[in-house]
Amino acid sequence: MEFESLKDGLLSTVDTGLKYARTIDREAEFELYLYYRNRAEVDIDQGVVKATDGIEEGNAVRVAKQNSVSFASSSGISLNRIKRSINEAIASLTSLSVKDERFKGFCEPKKPGREGAFAREILDLSREELITYASNLVKDGQGFDRRIKTVAGSSSAEWGGFAVGNTQGLLQASRSASNSCYVYCMAVQEEERKSAYEYDISRERLINTEDLGETAARKAIDLLNAQKLNKTTVLPTIWEPNAAAAYIYTSFGQSARGEYVVEGRSPIADKIGKEIATPKLTILDDGQELSYPSTEAIDAEGYPQQTNTVIEKGKLTRFLFDTYYSRIYGTESTGNCSRGGGPFGSTLPYETSPLIRPKYFEVKPGSKSLDDIIASTDGQAILITDAPIGIFHSSVATGEFSSVANSAYLIRDGEKKCPLQPVSVSGNFYEGFKQLLELGNDSKKTQYTVETPSLLFDGFSIVG
Amino acid sequence: MLEKLQNSVKLGEKLGAEFVEARFDDLILRTLYRVNDTWKDILLKSRAGVGVTCYYGGASGYSYTPSENDKELEETVTRAFKMAKASANAVSLKLSFDKRAPVKSQNSDTFPIKIHPKTKDLSYKVDLVNRAVDNARESGENISNVTGMYGELYGRKLFTNSEDSMVDWQFELIDLRCTVTSKTESGNLVNGLGQAHGTMGLELFDTKGSTPEDIGKEAGAHAKEQLKARACPAGKYRTLIENNLVGVLAHESFGHLSEGDFVVIGGSPLTGKIDKKLGTEHASIVDYGTPNLQEFGGLWVPYDDQGTKANKTTILDKGTLKHYLHSRGTAQYLQQEPTGNCRAVHFGFNPIPRMTNTYFAPGQLTKEEALELLDTGIYAIQTSGGQVEGDGSFVFKAIRGYWVEKGEIREPLREVALSGNILHLLSKVEGATRDLRIYAGYFGGCGKDGQYPLPCGIGGPELVVSEVRFGGKA
Repeated sequence: MEFESLKDGLLSTVDTGLKYARTIDREAEFELYLYYRNRAEVDIDQGVVKATDGIEEGNAVRVAKQNSVSFASSSGISLNRIKRSINEAIASLTSLSVKDERFKGFCEPKKPGREGAFAREILDLSREELITYASNLVKDGQGFDRRIKTVAGSSSAEWGGFAVGNTQGLLQASRSASNSCYVYCMAVQEEERKSAYEYDISRERLINTEDLGETAARKAIDLLNAQKLNKTTVLPTIWEPNAAAAYIYTSFGQSARGEYVVEGRSPIADKIGKEIATPKLTILDDGQELSYPSTEAIDAEGYPQQTNTVIEKGKLTRFLFDTYYSRIYGTESTGNCSRGGGPFGSTLPYETSPLIRPKYFEVKPGSKSLDDIIASTDGQAILITDAPIGIFHSSVATGEFSSVANSAYLIRDGEKKCPLQPVSVSGNFYEGFKQLLELGNDSKKTQYTVETPSLLFDGFSIVG
Repeated sequence: MLEKLQNSVKLGEKLGAEFVEARFDDLILRTLYRVNDTWKDILLKSRAGVGVTCYYGGASGYSYTPSENDKELEETVTRAFKMAKASANAVSLKLSFDKRAPVKSQNSDTFPIKIHPKTKDLSYKVDLVNRAVDNARESGENISNVTGMYGELYGRKLFTNSEDSMVDWQFELIDLRCTVTSKTESGNLVNGLGQAHGTMGLELFDTKGSTPEDIGKEAGAHAKEQLKARACPAGKYRTLIENNLVGVLAHESFGHLSEGDFVVIGGSPLTGKIDKKLGTEHASIVDYGTPNLQEFGGLWVPYDDQGTKANKTTILDKGTLKHYLHSRGTAQYLQQEPTGNCRAVHFGFNPIPRMTNTYFAPGQLTKEEALELLDTGIYAIQTSGGQVEGDGSFVFKAIRGYWVEKGEIREPLREVALSGNILHLLSKVEGATRDLRIYAGYFGGCGKDGQYPLPCGIGGPELVVSEVRFGGKA
């Protein structure tokens, strides 16, 4: 397929598939989702080169009849593979007597939103250019300091799209292209190992590898000679954007999802309109900001993506919904239907039934620089520079987290001192938001579908 | 299909590839997911596709397609070759490997299960979930959510290469689990879990301890117990770690460090440490693709995705590092034998060194002796996952725990988080119980290099460790 004709091609196939489905069962409702993505990637790990160039494509069918719903998917978007999914989904429905009384039909047609930004040159990136990007990242990292022992660089380019249609008359498609690069450096000094990474991702321009290798190498070197904290205590913690993004994604990024709210697993389910954080906190979920990687004209069931305010000045204003859960809750969809899971998405998203995910969280910045925030702390505090490990395994239901910050510094009397050996940081996400003292002005787009500045919290337990 | 793969290998060689591997997966994945009284998911996924690796000048190029069409297979091989050729100039560390005798699989390589999931209709499986949920409700208290899940993954895996190997076997895995969320008087939510899984037939769910009723009751009872549990105190404690959580330690914190690709580039702290003492005599770690499933449970992986037959690899032997886990390339580079550990999550990815069933070897202690040896500390049980870093540091969540005093279990603790560095922890292992259990589920899996979720077995006995750091309330 070609990028220019991708949407037309997918829409035409969806239409044909739905017509076939109608011939099998005229009384049932059908939804057909097609996914196509062309992806090339080069990884250079300390001189070992692995390169991939392939096509991901697949289809997913939902069938509904008399309040029973079933799902089937298969690899490929040929009509034969689509027919296979349709027939499997119908077979499941026929052999099953379970009802979902809450199901009230598939998504109704609406005017789509807008697609995100697009840079044509991404489509023209050659294998050789991707290899050059990755090689440059590795070269820059390796040359920085003799203590940098391991450097891995990667670059990738992808383009594709999806289309969705249903027997309610909905027929929509969206397409996108993006490129990204990543460099990882490990500094080794005797038995001490410290690592850091940098990246660039864009849909509106070609990636820029300049300085990334050096910056990652410098960050890794700076973490060497780490000191032991040697205490169990409660201290203020400053979370730089990569770390703060993990915190936001794992807390409100999960508990604001409509399925957790409706199914009784969200600890903020009964808090709409209530103050759940300090008034300094405002969070949007933006599926329409042109530069965000997840911006599409429609969500994964065909509803227009939109901009939703989740928390405004500390008050919980909105949960995120797809059509199914919005109808149970008694509201409209917020355009947050997704396929594939986790902060990094999924390589076979068509295999996942529709679920709710934030499109892209944006935490509104404050006015202070990171240096000012550091200077504002009294006594001891901890600066966390990258996502602490373990934080993504926190329970949505409890809100409690326990993580270990491997990239951390001791702050004393408002000054950044030495790097620290791994410190355990634990607490409760929602109690933490009530003790959110400051937001920085250093907003950054992160890998975790969150744009956030640095955050200063009080009250977390520290073991080091 | 084998002929199409063989043609792909020939085409790759004709284009100029020095070695070619081609594989075909034709897998069925079924997921049933009930939340309270609603069937959230009744899914059937047909995952079929071809993956081709071309080796050229020390680089590997990989491509894939869901199509079995000859023209698209030719394009796939061409893409793989062009990617390898374009990358060759960037190679400074070559992971080439010598040709070997072809590998030919036998029908008996597939694990013989009694009741294959494809022989039972959907209503049979729906009933399994319903029975688990009903029993969870009966045994739980203040329940705000009950979730029942069933998963099955089975199908054909076919492989050939430039050596004319022909590997053809059936992957099999089933999983039934139940989670309960209950609300405490103060409004906090707590969880309980029950589960049974592995390469087994559906007869597993007729076995004592693994019936839907047992699974549901376990989930409900544990959530109920958690209602009265207190928060785990922060600090360092003597610890008894239960089998499942021991398995996560074996896999996540040590197993990954032993994977050959990580060792070759010097990224692993285990690099260059063969025959070095890293742990106590009670710490032995094994990776084994075909363990005794009837006795211990686990996953059946008779061949990896490079066609290498499964091996029993003792990675750590009584505290001494003995072997790494390999692809053919990393094995030759490090002058060890291939171990059957080159795996891919699906046809969209190139195979890389991954684990099969990784577990701590059992010791001699009874449960009572282990508690006595623990004396006073924390008994950490089950897991909801964890994360590791390349230096060996880890964080793992135990779903629940107990405070133990003078060898006696005193009171339940809420979800506890263990953290530390695996190399430090190995030097603190004081004893292991004699009961080995291996766990391998459909839900979740290993996520190395974005290849999530690859089914793996994890396990071990229970371990007594003299010092583990717990995150909790200071």
